[in-house]
Amino acid sequence: MTNTETPMIPNEIVVEHPEKREPIGLFTWICVGWLAINLGVALLTPFLPIANPKEMISMPSMGMSLDHLMGTDSLGRDLFARVAWGSRISLGVGLGAMAIGFGIGGPLGMLAAFRRGKLDVALSSVMFTLLAFPSIIAIISILSMWWPRSLAKIILVVGISSVPLVYRVIRAATLSAGSKEYITAARVLGAKDRRIVFRELLPNVAPTGLSFLLFGVATVIALEGVLAFLGLSIDPNTAPSWGNLINDARQSLNDTPQNWPLIIFPSAILCLFILALNFVGDRLRSYFDVTEVKL
Amino acid sequence: MSTETNQNNNPDEDFLVVENLTTTFNTARGPLPAVGGVSFRLGHNETLGVVGESGSGKTVLSRTIMGLQPRTNVEVGGSVRFDGHEIVGATEAELREIWGTKVAMIFQDPMTSLNPVTKIGKQIGESLHVRLGMSKDEAKARAIELLTLVGIPSPEERYEAYPTQLSGGMRQRVMIAIALACNPSLLLADEPTTGLDVTIQAQILNLLDELQMKLQMSVILVTHDLGVVATRTDRIIVMYAGRVVEMGRTKDVFKDHRMPYTRALLESTPRVSNPSHTRLKTIPGRPPNLLKLAEGCAFAPRCSRATEKCSQERPNLEPTGTDGHYFACWNPLDNQSAPVSSSTGSTKEFGEDNVRS
Repeated sequence: MTNTETPMIPNEIVVEHPEKREPIGLFTWICVGWLAINLGVALLTPFLPIANPKEMISMPSMGMSLDHLMGTDSLGRDLFARVAWGSRISLGVGLGAMAIGFGIGGPLGMLAAFRRGKLDVALSSVMFTLLAFPSIIAIISILSMWWPRSLAKIILVVGISSVPLVYRVIRAATLSAGSKEYITAARVLGAKDRRIVFRELLPNVAPTGLSFLLFGVATVIALEGVLAFLGLSIDPNTAPSWGNLINDARQSLNDTPQNWPLIIFPSAILCLFILALNFVGDRLRSYFDVTEVKL
Repeated sequence: MSTETNQNNNPDEDFLVVENLTTTFNTARGPLPAVGGVSFRLGHNETLGVVGESGSGKTVLSRTIMGLQPRTNVEVGGSVRFDGHEIVGATEAELREIWGTKVAMIFQDPMTSLNPVTKIGKQIGESLHVRLGMSKDEAKARAIELLTLVGIPSPEERYEAYPTQLSGGMRQRVMIAIALACNPSLLLADEPTTGLDVTIQAQILNLLDELQMKLQMSVILVTHDLGVVATRTDRIIVMYAGRVVEMGRTKDVFKDHRMPYTRALLESTPRVSNPSHTRLKTIPGRPPNLLKLAEGCAFAPRCSRATEKCSQERPNLEPTGTDGHYFACWNPLDNQSAPVSSSTGSTKEFGEDNVRS
């Protein structure tokens, strides 16, 4: 070979592959905005000019007005204040339980999928056995026996019951990412296990984890509503959750059917919040889905 | 470069010594000998082609040479000595010492061998940073240099690109840049062009060729395409059912092949010089089930020259007399008695435009 020194000029036509991801879209941004408003209100409730949710500040069962945006309940408490404070409980349960679920299930799932072998078999048999047990029954029975109820206990019980689910999702995502050639490629470049887990696997598992996290928060908030409806959530007199509010309204609606905002507002906000979480989670999943079909 | 000069320049053949290498998978249906006793030597700056059908064990062979086996259910025997390191039986920590810096690998599918969520520049620079201890800025400069080396236009911009933004050929160039980042002295390329267009294939192979010369590496090129190895390798190993059935200098294997399987492979490769509508010869039957390998020659059931002996006793590699040319056959083709058809015997028939001088 004589022309070793000549620079290589690629004669291949360079095909630019522009960013083929669809833009996020207005609808998704509206959903994100709605989630942000709820989160903002939940975080800032104590600092916002919002009435005391436990104080009977007005006539009972008043309709909507400028003073009371959503009216008052059967005891004369401001409904808007109660919904705003309720978001702290509902979001707290949702995020707190998922933090426990992902904090335990996530690392275990990744560990099992990365190590495989006996560790995977052992962990998976435990987790999948737990998964076979209807968790809602377990949650209800544990909470109905464990007095007095507190926010921490609900978060703990719901969070731990979500561990097998998170484990399964994260393990599956790690398995699929781990079977790709780029993991082998990183290994034969001399990357250590820790580097492969954190630099190669984690970024590829994160999108799946993130969208599942949003679905999880939505599910737990709805679940808390169910628990409150059954009277198993925290004491509505100390701090009402959205589920408590709906349960309260159901009871008082018989006496004052004209006060429909009492049930409509908490239910609508709960529904819209869960819907928005699901839409955003779904969009995130498809946004990060780098499949070769797009090439 | 011509094959002869390269051979003469590198008399030492002890750079990579593979001896009686076996890789056996323990499957639920019994042991599966994917590689059944392979021995060869590779010198500095030499290019070795490993050729065979799908399922002939060539990919498992290349992975075993790297020390890349599944963690469970596999048994590796024999020895792979590479530049003073024994690969067989080495722990992953020991292998990590030579992976990347001394021996590197290019994978078959450029679509899945790059991490989709990391910028390509970072993927190249990472091993420079981690393995060679370069600073981030140095690694970036070197990564851009490497992108230029593998012929990627406007490398500064491409440094920031994600794999999805590149075409298949470009990705394979990036893959090569990653493999070459730490200056390995041995490069294993496992069907590096299978997923690419024919025109891009030639470019990638020519690039590998040029880089081999420039960077003074030894290369093992695994492929099922004889056209690929014809003009780009010094020596060839033909594999069948996990064993070497013929090996020798590329020129000898093409012109003077003895094993009917090599002939069959050559005849089933399309050639430009054939008149149009020439029917391509195929090899009847299928590769054997490695779980139920018979006593004799594994190719016997598909071989037109097979005799009784072939199905009873396995032939060993015998020298032809030409230096380094071996074959395993009881009824070898003889150049005198069975003249090679005009279109079979020349390396030039395979992509004449790619022949280097």
